[in-house]
Amino acid sequence: MSDRIFGAVGLILALGYAWAALIIEESFLSDAVGPKAFPLIIAAVLGLSSLVIFFKPDTAPHWPALPRLMEVGAAILVMVLYAILLPELGFVIATALAATYLTWRLGTRPLSSVVSGCLTSLGIYAVFHLVLGLSLARGPLGF
Amino acid sequence: METLSSLADGFVIALTWQNLLLALLGCFLGTMMGALPGLGPSNGVAILIPLAFTLGLGATPSLILLTSVYYGAMYGGRISSILLNIPGDEPAMMTCLDGYPMAKKGRAGEALSLSGIASFVGAFLATWGLILLAPQLVKIALLFGPAEYFALFTLAFATLGGVASTNQAKTAFAAALGIGLATVGVDTQTGVPRFTFGEVHLYDGIDFLVAIVGLFALSEVFLFLEHRHGNADASGHKVTVGRLMPSWSLLKSCTPTMLRSSFLGFLAGVLPGAGASLGSFIAYTFEKKLVDKEGTFGTGDPRGVAAPEAGNNAAAGGALVPMLALGVPGSGTTAVLLAVLLALNITPGPLLFTQQPDVVWGLIAALFIANVMLLLMNIPMIGLFTRVLLIPPRILMPIVAMVSFVGIYGISGSSFDLLVMVGFGVLGWVLRKLDVPLVPIILGTLLGNAMENNLRRAITIDNGDWFALIDSPLSIGLWTLAVIGFLLPIIFGKVVKARMRHMAKDEEGSTID
Amino acid sequence: MAFKSTRLLLAAAFLGASAFGVSAADFKPENPECIAPANPGGGWDFTCRQVGKSLQDQKLLDSTVQVVNLAGGGGGVAFAEVVNKRDDDNDLIVAASAATATRLAQGAYPGNTMDQVRWLAAVGADYGVIAVAADSPVNTLPELLDQIKNDPSSVSVAGGSAVGGWDHLKVLIAANAYGIDDVRSVKYIAFDGGGEAVTQLLAGSVQAFTGDISEAKGFVDSGDIKVIAVLAPERLPGEFEVFPTAKEQGIDAIGANWRGFYAPGNMSDDAYNAWVGMIGDLYASEEWKGVMAANGLAPLDLQGEEFQKFVANSVAQIQKISKEIGIIK
Repeated sequence: MSDRIFGAVGLILALGYAWAALIIEESFLSDAVGPKAFPLIIAAVLGLSSLVIFFKPDTAPHWPALPRLMEVGAAILVMVLYAILLPELGFVIATALAATYLTWRLGTRPLSSVVSGCLTSLGIYAVFHLVLGLSLARGPLGF
Repeated sequence: METLSSLADGFVIALTWQNLLLALLGCFLGTMMGALPGLGPSNGVAILIPLAFTLGLGATPSLILLTSVYYGAMYGGRISSILLNIPGDEPAMMTCLDGYPMAKKGRAGEALSLSGIASFVGAFLATWGLILLAPQLVKIALLFGPAEYFALFTLAFATLGGVASTNQAKTAFAAALGIGLATVGVDTQTGVPRFTFGEVHLYDGIDFLVAIVGLFALSEVFLFLEHRHGNADASGHKVTVGRLMPSWSLLKSCTPTMLRSSFLGFLAGVLPGAGASLGSFIAYTFEKKLVDKEGTFGTGDPRGVAAPEAGNNAAAGGALVPMLALGVPGSGTTAVLLAVLLALNITPGPLLFTQQPDVVWGLIAALFIANVMLLLMNIPMIGLFTRVLLIPPRILMPIVAMVSFVGIYGISGSSFDLLVMVGFGVLGWVLRKLDVPLVPIILGTLLGNAMENNLRRAITIDNGDWFALIDSPLSIGLWTLAVIGFLLPIIFGKVVKARMRHMAKDEEGSTID
Repeated sequence: MAFKSTRLLLAAAFLGASAFGVSAADFKPENPECIAPANPGGGWDFTCRQVGKSLQDQKLLDSTVQVVNLAGGGGGVAFAEVVNKRDDDNDLIVAASAATATRLAQGAYPGNTMDQVRWLAAVGADYGVIAVAADSPVNTLPELLDQIKNDPSSVSVAGGSAVGGWDHLKVLIAANAYGIDDVRSVKYIAFDGGGEAVTQLLAGSVQAFTGDISEAKGFVDSGDIKVIAVLAPERLPGEFEVFPTAKEQGIDAIGANWRGFYAPGNMSDDAYNAWVGMIGDLYASEEWKGVMAANGLAPLDLQGEEFQKFVANSVAQIQKISKEIGIIK
């Protein structure tokens, strides 16, 4: 069943991709092939392989139960928040928070998680910013 | 003879205390950056340019530092591939296929040392190739026009079948998805934006590093989250490291593989635009086709570790040929090195070898030194690396995730890239559950643009004639190989698969010892 | 249709001295920052790092210039960031080049125009060249353009930028100046960088090359290619002197890929003048002449108001030719 859904989604993706390729606004000045042809070929391959997957599905994988799925969903949410808040909070704070959360959810006791999260954050900051000299997000506190 | 004396001069230049220390520093930093997901060789070199300038280094010492980083990163990439199933950089993705299964079988130490030795062999042979053949090899690069490049890339995709998955449709899907992702952004031929939905951040396209880190590293984190129920965590990951050095018989059995892979990788490196990823990919697929009679590749076959590592390090050396002799970077990293050369007032090109022999030979000597140093540094450190496996995943995985985020953010400074990366993480997780191989996706994002551009160049040059693609003996040859490579697994696939199952049952007891 | 930079260049040569007169006022940036609108390793990145380092080396600045890479949209992401979020930052400068002007002119930074920032100064320029393979029967620019005029499909011109990009425009400027009316018929093949384009010239896949002088130099020295025209107002100094200009062959075409900086639109006048003064002093120094020589940069001495005018002119020029060839409406 999973592969049937996957095949169907793939087919929709291929059609959407082909449609998006067709509406590319070609400039007045173009090469002999143009910007549309290659994406259309790829869309065809994408569509064909999706059809094969749809009609010849493999055995379905084991999907996790709802609580586990929500666990993954929450982790995704935390990562998205991290990406958005990183420039606002500054690197060290944002990273410590995110690392603590992940460590905790992977089965570490809360207090150890906080310690581990902070150490992770400071360690990365030391290696990447102080040693390698990469510019990491500067928060209101300057780090 | 003349070559040897020049090389001796090179060693005289390179063998000073300062230069040796720089090489050591470069090797260490390079290995580290190669191993950290998100920081590949090209960014590694770029990050250290300011260091070279701040230290006020001259041309040769700067090059020694930066090429040590380059070779070091090529070594380092394999470490996270083998230990974590996360490629440290893009050429190391093929090493995951057999390296991680080996580690899971309790042979992490062996996999690391074997791949270290394979890296050494590849880089060593490639450096000799660079010395002896550079002028002649340039002519090979000149045989490749746009049509030939397109045929070459098609060959790579045509032989994808059976690399990672047994389901050809899913492999094709993954490759098309990767190429499709590569087409996002401003079309480099006509300058019109494609599939960007008006989002400025997408104009430059999707960085394959973002894709690779998301697909491999973050999806791994999600998998761990998903499987952490009850005590599975504690019991499932009692990892044994096993012996640290491979046995002589194992080394001997891998030697032909290393030699063949070094040769192929070197050739791939010499072609500008193909690069180390293609080198490791071709080495792996070729070796699989040639020696994998029992179908053990992909399940922890040592040869499957030796092949891509020899291949990608040989390609790294090969990529220096067009960079030095033509001024054309063969990979992302050599593009950065080229920029450094220009900044040091060294103009690469056909005359570099005669005009600035001290720089060239100093550089080549430095490659030898760095290579030996890396081998000496890597083998004793294997014990240390494997300790990583002893860190419980609940601590290790968050670190991996955060390092991935930082690697990407530190380079681009863009939250948007991080969001894209999380998206790739989710995608990678779903695709892994559905048994869709990830390698073709990465290969697609890496080569998709070059493939399309060369197709369009070839046809535009011939004024819209599609037969331009099969205009030269070389391109006809490549196309023939591509067709054979594509059809063979389909025709014989069923036969082989049946035999594979049969063999696997027989050998179950003997391979895992 | 020639680039107005000719006259501007000459003007700048006379007026240059007065630009230096701008005193470094009282303003000193506390946390000087230079945005390189691309990943590490590219031209913009180098502009930032070289200038940042030289400013500190020569004690024009006390503190280290922090280089921040903000890649995306061919510089568009950085431009939008400066306009939208850091419009009054006095400590910030951003690397720019002819490519920035080209994209601004063609509207490739959606919703942004060149007036939204203040243009500081140039630090040098790389002049365009047109070259053919050494064994090509073509020896002069008019010969090549004649061939294109008679049968456009017989000549493929390779360059390192996209269609409509700077390398392409250079060849079109020359074609236009020669009197080829439908410049769109010129067959241009875009490669990833000048090096790759030259290689394809050597491989015989294409017939001509358009790029910067620094990209072609190594191959000229080795005798593999010949430069048939430099798109500079007059012959370049030093070893480049042997190359004929397009102008002396009767084709009034000039193409300079300049490198320089812009600053946020609401930067205070004090800060603006201080930055202009600092970069001006840097440009005038002997050390910078060394850096320019090392990087194959030719002189382009423009600061402050002069530079602002120069950029405005090139944007207008590029807009005009882009409209003519139909890249923009």
